[in-house]
Amino acid sequence: MTPYPERVLQQAYAWMRSHPRVADGVLGLLLFAAGAGQIPAGGPVADVRAISVNVLLAGSVAVRRRNPVAAFCGAVVIVSFQLAFGLGSGSLPGMAPGVTDLAIVILLYTLAAYRPRRVSVTALLVCFAGAVVAIAGYAPLHETDAKAVLLLSFVAVGVTLLGAWVLGDSAAYRKTYYVSLEQRLAAAERTSELETKRARAVDESAARLRRIERDLHDGAQVRLAALAMALGEIKENLAQADTDPGTLKLVGSAHQNAKNTLTELRDLARGIHPPVLDRGLGEALTILAGTSAIPVALTVCIAERPSPAIEAIAYFCTAELLANAAKHSGARSIQVSVKDSESGPLALTVTDDGAGGARVAPRGGLAGLLERVQTVDGQLMVGSPPGGPTTVTIELPRHA
Amino acid sequence: MRIVIAEDAAIMRDGLTQTLTRRGHDVIAAVGDAEALKKAIAEHRPDVAIVDVRMPPSHTDEGLRAAKAIHQDFPEVGVLVFSQYIEAHAATELFASAPTGVGYLLKDRVADVSEFIDALTRVAQGGTVLDPEVVRQLLGAGRRQDSLATLTPREKEVLSLIAQGRSNVAIASALFISPKVVEKHVANIFDKLGLAPSDTDNRRVIAAIRYLES
Repeated sequence: MTPYPERVLQQAYAWMRSHPRVADGVLGLLLFAAGAGQIPAGGPVADVRAISVNVLLAGSVAVRRRNPVAAFCGAVVIVSFQLAFGLGSGSLPGMAPGVTDLAIVILLYTLAAYRPRRVSVTALLVCFAGAVVAIAGYAPLHETDAKAVLLLSFVAVGVTLLGAWVLGDSAAYRKTYYVSLEQRLAAAERTSELETKRARAVDESAARLRRIERDLHDGAQVRLAALAMALGEIKENLAQADTDPGTLKLVGSAHQNAKNTLTELRDLARGIHPPVLDRGLGEALTILAGTSAIPVALTVCIAERPSPAIEAIAYFCTAELLANAAKHSGARSIQVSVKDSESGPLALTVTDDGAGGARVAPRGGLAGLLERVQTVDGQLMVGSPPGGPTTVTIELPRHA
Repeated sequence: MRIVIAEDAAIMRDGLTQTLTRRGHDVIAAVGDAEALKKAIAEHRPDVAIVDVRMPPSHTDEGLRAAKAIHQDFPEVGVLVFSQYIEAHAATELFASAPTGVGYLLKDRVADVSEFIDALTRVAQGGTVLDPEVVRQLLGAGRRQDSLATLTPREKEVLSLIAQGRSNVAIASALFISPKVVEKHVANIFDKLGLAPSDTDNRRVIAAIRYLES
């Protein structure tokens, strides 16, 4: 819990941030009021002129944020007139700065905070020059310690101006920094939102594939098998019933077609989602290893089942790598290992003792795998020096 | 034959029932899941049961497990497991637990009605039937390449038929060669694979599968 006074301050700052014009108006009014209190009794004309200067300077402060450059330039012109015609609003004639001269400092701060450095630095130099002219022109040279006063004045005015500029400049810097922080935060939030969405999409797509396979299994495949069975029976009945050879041939070819379609449909369904994956990655890989053309030594060490989408990716990658090894490597044996660690990724390693020289080429088999692995932010590393051995390591998160 | 069918797809269940009935067989019960199958077996003690691998509730391997259970409880009942997919490991599991009166066929095989009924009859009589696809998977996998590589194409053909539970006479007629030549091939195969030939078909099949799966 924030302490009470701090909370009040926070609320005040928040209010000022949300009502910049009102805040600046109040600032201008305060400045004018303070300047008015300083106006010496110099006759009505002097009063009018001094009041006008006050009003203009206070006004420029009031509009400082909407148009900082114009406000600053206006203030500089006014102060120049002041210097040129001795309109000092201070109680001392000449050099003593009036409260309204603070307007220049405030406007310099504003420029440094809201405008590029080249503008604010120019303004700072103008201020320095003005200060030199003012102090030099109105210095009480008749006094004995004139030099010390002069130097002190220069230092005081210089430090004030420089301080205003530095404050403004650092405010600008902090502002850009906060903006970039906010952007980074927004980007991070967006990324995490996208990651969640992608994980959902990957899981949904795995589930959909599984559903399609099941629908094929329970629907089209069964109907087609029943159809093929009926055609088979018709064919046999016709053959016994001394039918005309043309019809028999027609039925025979329909029967054969139905059987071929069954085979195609089965291969298709298995490619969509190998049913054996339902029994876990370990069992699926055991079967895969069993059908490899090159003998496979399989090690599976999985404590907790990864999500179905990840299992499917690991399975298809292994299948592709085994097929690659059989086609290209000339290996005599392959080692496949799948391990998971408590917090880390699922690591799949396929090593063959073949000729080596495998690499990720555009549109090649490994590039396809890489693409598949990257859909879940996985990694794929290939080590395959000429002469072998070839080791492909794939790391997958346990959940998409 | 007295037959019990367990198949969750009604169209296939009805189609099978009708076809088998038309061929003069007696379908005593046609059920849709493994539990009903076990009840029907216990009640009717059929000659043979046709069992789909994927059945409710989980649609994974209910049929396979039911087949093993049936074989344990009622060894005299033949079980023909049929499936949309052929998996060598399922065949090994099945044949390891039940070396006789058991079959494993791809569902597509029902399309050749007479051959399917032949296979069913062999299982009912305590024989063994193994889908050629299993053999193809195991041979195609090139496992034990060293010794299998020494087989001639003809011997591989013969081995594949042996693994399907065919007798020498059946193999001879399938390949259009004389039984004597088949015997010679078989002797060569067992010799090359380091297996002692034995006198029953079932043991030859088991030997072949065990060898292929080892």
